[in-house]
Amino acid sequence: MLSSILMLIILSLFLATGAWLIFLWAVRKGEFDDPEAPKYRMLDDDEALPANLEDRHDPPA
Amino acid sequence: MTSATIQCAHCGQNILPAERISESFADRQVDFCCQGCRGAFRIIHGAGLGRFYRERQWPEAGLPTGAYRLGIDAAALAGQVRSVPGGNELNFLVEGIHCATCVWLNEKILSRLPGVLEARLNYASHRARVRFDPGIADPLAIFAAVASLGYLPRLDGSDARQQLRLAERRRLLVRFGTAVFLSLQLMGFSLALYAGYFQGMATDARQLVQWLAGLVATPVVFYAGASFFSGAWRSLRNRAPGMDLLIALGVLAAYGYSLVALIRGGEVYFDTAAMIVTLVLLGRLLENGARHRAAEGIERLLALAPTSACRLEGEEQHSVESSCLRPGDLILVRPGERVPVDATLVDGTSEFDEAVVSGEALPVLRKPGDPIRSGTLNLDAAVTLRATCAAADSFLARMAALVEEAQACKAPVQRLADRIATVFVPLVVLLAAATVFFWLGRGVGGATALLHAVAVLVVACPCALGLATPIAVMVATGAAARRGIFFRGGDVLEQVGRLQLVAFDKTGTLTRGQPAVCAVVPAPGTSAETLLRSAATVESGSAHPLARGILCEAERRGLTVPCGSGARTVPGMGVALEDGAGRVLVGTREFLAANGIPLAAAAAGPALTEVHVSRGAEYLGVIRLDDRLRPETAPALAALLRRGVRLAVLSGDRPRTVERMTAGLGIEERCGGMTPADKAAWIAARQASGLRVMMIGDGLNDAPALAAADVGCALAGGTDIALETSTLVLTRPDLGCLVEALDIGRRALRIIRQNLFWAFVYNLVALSLAAGGRLAPIHAAAAMALSSLCVVGNSLRLARLPRQKGR
Repeated sequence: MLSSILMLIILSLFLATGAWLIFLWAVRKGEFDDPEAPKYRMLDDDEALPANLEDRHDPPA
Repeated sequence: MTSATIQCAHCGQNILPAERISESFADRQVDFCCQGCRGAFRIIHGAGLGRFYRERQWPEAGLPTGAYRLGIDAAALAGQVRSVPGGNELNFLVEGIHCATCVWLNEKILSRLPGVLEARLNYASHRARVRFDPGIADPLAIFAAVASLGYLPRLDGSDARQQLRLAERRRLLVRFGTAVFLSLQLMGFSLALYAGYFQGMATDARQLVQWLAGLVATPVVFYAGASFFSGAWRSLRNRAPGMDLLIALGVLAAYGYSLVALIRGGEVYFDTAAMIVTLVLLGRLLENGARHRAAEGIERLLALAPTSACRLEGEEQHSVESSCLRPGDLILVRPGERVPVDATLVDGTSEFDEAVVSGEALPVLRKPGDPIRSGTLNLDAAVTLRATCAAADSFLARMAALVEEAQACKAPVQRLADRIATVFVPLVVLLAAATVFFWLGRGVGGATALLHAVAVLVVACPCALGLATPIAVMVATGAAARRGIFFRGGDVLEQVGRLQLVAFDKTGTLTRGQPAVCAVVPAPGTSAETLLRSAATVESGSAHPLARGILCEAERRGLTVPCGSGARTVPGMGVALEDGAGRVLVGTREFLAANGIPLAAAAAGPALTEVHVSRGAEYLGVIRLDDRLRPETAPALAALLRRGVRLAVLSGDRPRTVERMTAGLGIEERCGGMTPADKAAWIAARQASGLRVMMIGDGLNDAPALAAADVGCALAGGTDIALETSTLVLTRPDLGCLVEALDIGRRALRIIRQNLFWAFVYNLVALSLAAGGRLAPIHAAAAMALSSLCVVGNSLRLARLPRQKGR
């Protein structure tokens, strides 16, 4: 009985560690740097995603 | 190409004499080949992009080679380069980014430079981040590459500070996140232990869970809580016991006690230690956010002054850092640029938008000899200025210093907690010492006496006390935000609840801030409709606030206004339009007089803006415009008076205007002609006499007063600076929200007091039990849970705000 509890606890610790690592990654990525701006971003009319533009503006081969 | 050939001012092609269209623009004559070119020319100048014509070079395509090769200091550039893993990094601002294509172009060109590893340009902030190999590429080449594209790269001094702040915030966030994840685990273990306390638990299972709890709590205490220990050590060295010391004492006592209990057998308190750290870290995180925003306000203020300026040296133009400008330097300010330092106008005439500086909506005409403040926006024409002081002494810098000073003076809520702690900490330590001696005197063993003393330290730690204010604040601010009322931080909510005096700015706060027609006075023989329609036709293409006021009035009266194209604007004077029935002039008294129109001596009200109209040689009459009170001003002020709040108006306007506009509103003190520093001083004087003051304003000139007041309040639509320096923001430009904010603040204050009462009662009961040696861990746990539940439940009542009563 005790060993099953121990296993479950260790499993839960692993799960939590996973969540913690994801959190650390998100902080590094700057996900929490500015909690204010995103809600206004949808109001910005002329924002296009620079990432997509590479395909659109590359001259036709 | 002979000199007699005339070229179109827009497209540069030769004009056939028959097709030539001449127009006078900014005191010179310009010619166009067709109406299309004339339209394009007007649009480009109207958008403040007149420099386009100076910086293009026909017939070669593209930009002139030297246009942006302005002396950028290699040493200053080198100072901005940071070393990062895998190369060096340079951060700078790129001026002239308008669309995503600009971003794409810059990134492409930069990443093709030899030695550049990565180039990223943020579309929103115009901030470029270039990582390069210092051996191959150099920062000057990067700047040159951006400049060769026709964009203006600029160093950004605030960048380093911002990076530093961001790093600090991230560190705090990681600590808090770690504490939360581990505390969640710990919570599970504690639940098992509490259940075991009631139902019984196998000793080996209990020991296992206890060991695990200890394992999980250790990093929370010593990693996440490290800042408390260093703070406690600092406060010990300075002999000034603070909140940090109390927290460190409680956490260490709980942790140490539990460690002993773990080895000797007994109940452990690991969860107490971890929860204290986690909750207090949450408080720190919220406070850090508030400070961050305050700092941003100052930075944005300084950002209004451009960091680089164009200095004239003989015939040459040099781009220099604004901070290098000395009094006496000649600087060129093009349309659409802001003035870098306080200066006097030397050459040229232009209108300046001083809205951010004075809150005045109308552009102001400046002639040679006029003083110009830093931060104002040049609208019409390129002008030459002579600097009158260095950037560090300029209006904006002085303003930023005033704001900073006021913000530093305002005691943050943290200091209040520290003041309480200076009393509470020695008291608790004394109580713990008394407990030891009492139990030693009773003849129990030294170890038992010590354990009782530690229990006192553990329960004294303010867990529910720490929750009492933040949770009420969180619920109340959330409920307020749904109504468009934003409190910046919990202390603001408290202070709003305690307000005794509210000071208003006039323009844009009590009034709409936009001129509206208040009287149409036609000359004899003219109808009011004709007068208004003539004026509206001429003004129909203008975005000038006065023009908008006139057009609004015409629309309100249901007049159909024919669109008058080809109107000619004389800055600061008026507008003229040729149409079928003669020349229509709309403008100041002087404008019409200068054009030989005899003015009927229309009596002028003292504070009104007058617009005179004539057609041909005939004087049509005058339209008077004035700023108006907001419709909700009177009821909102009455509601404030009913709540026992005193009112005042602080305005930079003439005292007589202030008196006239605010008559009959029940305002106690009405002060006019005040400078920004005057306003801040006025508020400081009222605060010194013991009043708690709120300031409401919208302009940059209110910023020091907003920061100095206990609560600074900005209405939506105010300048960014006002929004940043104020601690209360109403997102609807409706003064009725202010009354609601006051009610919410007062209710929240009441709830916070109740919360503190409950938290203290439980703490006191637990303290006395602990000192009496009767504190079983289950009592402590129950007291903690109960007090927290009381506090949370009581706070949730704030979410149900009463429907706007008493409006």
